[in-house]
Amino acid sequence: MEIVQARAGMPSARAKGRWIHSAYDPIKEAQAWAESQSYHEGETLVVFGVGLLYHVEALCARLTRTVPVVLVVPDLSVLADAATVRTWGDWIDRVSWAWGTTEAIGERIAEAGHPLRLITYAPAAALHADSHQAIETAMQRRAAAQAGGQLRIAVVGPIYGGSLPITRYAISALESLGHDVRWLDHSVHATSYHQLESLKNSQHRLALQSKYAEMLSRVTMAQLAEDPPDLVLSLAQAPLILPALEHLRRKKFLTAMWFVENYRHLTYWQQLAAGYDFWFVIQQEPCIAALKQAGAKDVRYLPMAADPAVHRPLELTQTEREEYGSDVSFVGAGYANRREIFPRLLCRDWTFKLWGNEWDGATELISVLQRNGARIDTDTCQKVFNASAVNLNLHSWAGTGLDPEGDFVNPRTFELAACGAFQLTDRRTLMPGLFAETEMVTVSSPDELMGKIARWLREPEQRVAMAAQARRRVLAEHTYVHRMRDLLSQIGVTSPDRIGSILRGARQAEALALTATDSFPSLAATLRTFPSTQRVELKQLAAQIRSRGPMGTLSREDLMVLMLDEYRSETKDLV
Amino acid sequence: MIQLARLGDLVQSLPAIASLTAQYPQRSLDLLCPAVLADLARLFPEVGHVLKWNGTQWHTWAKSFVGEFQPSWLREVQQYLAELTTEPYTIAYVLNHHPRAVLAATLLATEVQGPNLRGPLDEELSPWASYLRHVAQTRGSNRIHLSDTFCGLCGVTPPLAPPILRLPSIELHGDLAEVGNSAGQWIAVVVGAGDADRSIPVSVWTEWISTVLAHDSPYAVVLVGAERDQATALAIQDGLSPMIAGRLWDATGRTTLPQLATILKRCHWVVGADTGPLHLAAAVGASVMGFYFSRARVHETGPYGRGHCVWQADHAIPETWPIQASVKIIREPAAAVQQEAVAGWSLWQSYHDEWGAIFRPVGDRDPEEDRRAAVWRQLSEQSLPLQGVQ
Repeated sequence: MEIVQARAGMPSARAKGRWIHSAYDPIKEAQAWAESQSYHEGETLVVFGVGLLYHVEALCARLTRTVPVVLVVPDLSVLADAATVRTWGDWIDRVSWAWGTTEAIGERIAEAGHPLRLITYAPAAALHADSHQAIETAMQRRAAAQAGGQLRIAVVGPIYGGSLPITRYAISALESLGHDVRWLDHSVHATSYHQLESLKNSQHRLALQSKYAEMLSRVTMAQLAEDPPDLVLSLAQAPLILPALEHLRRKKFLTAMWFVENYRHLTYWQQLAAGYDFWFVIQQEPCIAALKQAGAKDVRYLPMAADPAVHRPLELTQTEREEYGSDVSFVGAGYANRREIFPRLLCRDWTFKLWGNEWDGATELISVLQRNGARIDTDTCQKVFNASAVNLNLHSWAGTGLDPEGDFVNPRTFELAACGAFQLTDRRTLMPGLFAETEMVTVSSPDELMGKIARWLREPEQRVAMAAQARRRVLAEHTYVHRMRDLLSQIGVTSPDRIGSILRGARQAEALALTATDSFPSLAATLRTFPSTQRVELKQLAAQIRSRGPMGTLSREDLMVLMLDEYRSETKDLV
Repeated sequence: MIQLARLGDLVQSLPAIASLTAQYPQRSLDLLCPAVLADLARLFPEVGHVLKWNGTQWHTWAKSFVGEFQPSWLREVQQYLAELTTEPYTIAYVLNHHPRAVLAATLLATEVQGPNLRGPLDEELSPWASYLRHVAQTRGSNRIHLSDTFCGLCGVTPPLAPPILRLPSIELHGDLAEVGNSAGQWIAVVVGAGDADRSIPVSVWTEWISTVLAHDSPYAVVLVGAERDQATALAIQDGLSPMIAGRLWDATGRTTLPQLATILKRCHWVVGADTGPLHLAAAVGASVMGFYFSRARVHETGPYGRGHCVWQADHAIPETWPIQASVKIIREPAAAVQQEAVAGWSLWQSYHDEWGAIFRPVGDRDPEEDRRAAVWRQLSEQSLPLQGVQ
């Protein structure tokens, strides 16, 4: 850090050409920052970003002395800089310091108490972004491991398309984690929506499709109003428009989007970026920066996955092996790069089968195209994966050859691996973070493809070993259960008072009863009539009280709960 | 007394307040009502303290509790209830068949008398509450007035005379200070009616006011209503001749409820379709003329007292309006009894006796048998003995 005197006379600091504190008045700036931070009683504040600690001092001044504050210090030399130029007040005694390795810092934070609220002083935190990311990830893992509470989650799926099956997998994963999931399924509207595609006038078609999406957005709002969830989780292509998302935010609904699309290919995220509280994307930079630039507040990387209940090794009959099997196969749509590469696989000393739709006009490939280019359902897909010696997995691209900007890893990669099927895939920049070279074979150019196919067809035992390793990796790290657990723990760490407290089990009957025992004994007794781990909210509590029947005895606390529930039961004015 | 409904129901509680305080003069009576009506309720005779029910605050609590319920948060609710009363009341009379009113009563009092027989979780209705539900479902004429059923719910009979709300001196600002003070007869026109389908069209009001202020008539008109009625009031004025503008005042959106009551009291007639202000007008002693259509029925919400007129439409949306006939009654009130039939409308006049208020059709030579005494006897026999009252 470079220490520079601010206009107001006190020391300020710069690093890498950027100001860490105000060049004019660091104290005033820090006070404004501290005022803008939210805090709930009982939380421990964890501060990222050291700088000259003006912000920490302002935060301590704003909060009562009993609020625990932990400052994360990834690099002690920064603290030394601050100590050289500043004189500490007694506020410094209130701060706990967490330094050392990521594990040491994580443990120090965990010791400080729960629930934790992360606060980032961005100008200073940017100097140690990687360390902070690692610490936050460690905290999320810890939160995920401790999670036991039941969330009510409304999942908003698309009308049709590739994110529809992913919606099912995500729901199944959330349910297996014990959450109460409601699917707002818009695929039931697909027939009507597709009817609009038959309109020849493109202006009419686009205008009506837009109106249709707007109407479905309102339907979603009405469904959410009837039974407000803790979290609204949208999958890519979910029909929720920006005004609806803004309205949901005003009504304090928490929203998240898992954008399981290539952000370069589908760009509607630009209109929705500011609408969701949390974005989860399958690409890293520059995707994350682009979303933030468009107004998204919180963007995180969450790669694709597999569902082992669907994507699994199959025992196939001889007939099935004959029908679905081949030396080399590919399942997918006829994108430009595949149309250009696949003809090179013909007339070789291996059999090649091509499965999938949107291959119209690919005349060279007719001889290998199965089922006349019909859409392939999930079951068939698994059979092909299991029956093929070498499964090709070329990511889609609208150009020729392989996508030079190829970064994200598609669902097929995880699904093939989960099936225990051998795959040959194109190189992706995000692949090394997900799979090792010993788990699948990659090619960097179409020219490499023939040689590698030939080689791996000659080595069946190694193929099986590699595929088995890839499957083990998926089961250990890359299922939808892993993804949903990560997604919720990340939201939980960011929202400790809402999602976080539910995940910690603070809304379960026994935990609530404990907090009520002293002041509200009658309420505590009612809470103890529920199973101890059951999530209990005002609605359930009031229903339990009403279930005593017309002659039931009511305490003052019961009456207060019933009154609050009367006001709660009014329909929210969402629509 | 617990009255958590709107303006009209609050004003219609006056007879029950009068009867209760007459029957139990040694007891003090406090009133719990919506916070927005508290200033008006403080003017009610015989009422001790007026407790404000803050529905907005309850909504806010309920919203914040959804998905985030914490028992400790009930402390704030407890504090609010303690501010309403530190000691429970001996008895609460509940006038609304709504769980909130019953719960509020149970929270604030040891004994509760109201629509539910045995407390908030009991759905069995008391005889008077059953009667109210029955008439709400079957409608029909010759029923006991809502104000008098409130008396029945409280276990008392209607007051011998309609209660009058005597107002203290309440200042009116600007040009409104002139209302009722200059020579001639003043008419308050209630321009709105809450819901659009219950409002009298602007063109009808324009014609009605033009007719009543025609030539050298001795009348002046003041338009009354809430802030939301200001646009309607302006539209009415736009349609009037500049010649009569000097005899028209616009008070819409410019008064508190006590000020509105003062304006209504200074008028000889109050005309309109919005039953809340019409009930208030009747309570302060003005003569009321109501135009009832859409869902408004004279037997359910007619103004309480003697000599009020209600034009009841045969259909929800009237095709014609009794403009000439209604103005004629204002000019010659005694002529009301000879009023000839007007197509699409029937005219009713209010009376009051020992069984409370009743509306009878004007010009009906073969009136229906008055069944109120029999109903009172029947319901009183079914009622349980009152508890907590000596």
